[in-house]
Amino acid sequence: MNTNGERLDPPDLSHYDENRSKFPLEELAKYWGKHVAFSPDGTRIVACGESIAEVDDKLDAAGIHFSQVVHSYIDPPDAVYI
Amino acid sequence: MSLLYRYNIVRSPRAVLTLGGRWSHPRPLLVVSVTGPAGTHAVEGLLDTGADETVFPEDVALRIGLSLSSAPQGMGVGATLAGIPLRYGEVSLRISDGIERREWRAWVGFTPAKLYRPMLGFAGFLQFFTATFHGDREQVELSVNALYPGT
Repeated sequence: MNTNGERLDPPDLSHYDENRSKFPLEELAKYWGKHVAFSPDGTRIVACGESIAEVDDKLDAAGIHFSQVVHSYIDPPDAVYI
Repeated sequence: MSLLYRYNIVRSPRAVLTLGGRWSHPRPLLVVSVTGPAGTHAVEGLLDTGADETVFPEDVALRIGLSLSSAPQGMGVGATLAGIPLRYGEVSLRISDGIERREWRAWVGFTPAKLYRPMLGFAGFLQFFTATFHGDREQVELSVNALYPGT
């Protein structure tokens, strides 16, 4: 819901995967180890933080509703999942 | 019809010996939208065939207005066998590859433990799909199966 209590329609994510896969690795390096929010089209990082809550606080401050982004975590380069 | 996702490429600071010296790790991530009584939260989750359940950080439950105060509880273990507290809630999950879209109701876990990204495991997620992991193409293909309860 937005600040008026209205439920927002989910954003159009139809181009997210395509653009996210092309996101420059050099740009992602700035966010290693951070939680981030991507724009719905996957072309921009609109907020980042040490936690999901911090990201959402920054989105609130920027007037962006949390439902209008894609949350993610940028793995640090030395992380190997086992 | 099926949903097709490219693996996410995560750069490595060094050549990965176990992958023939390439400088990255491919990971099967996809965007899942979780909807509760108060809203929807879209997040990149990791497809994990080794996970018994589908688990999100508790922050997500808070954002979508899902009360966990009287939720069924459980305990999970990670690869290191460290205990992870879980509380369960019923949500709607939605995925799309830009061409096909699927949405279904599922019981999933929420944890206060530090979970960097949701784990999309068997219960609530993979149980409803035939998942083909194309290691050579670094793509994963999901086709709904007979158990799929959604639209």
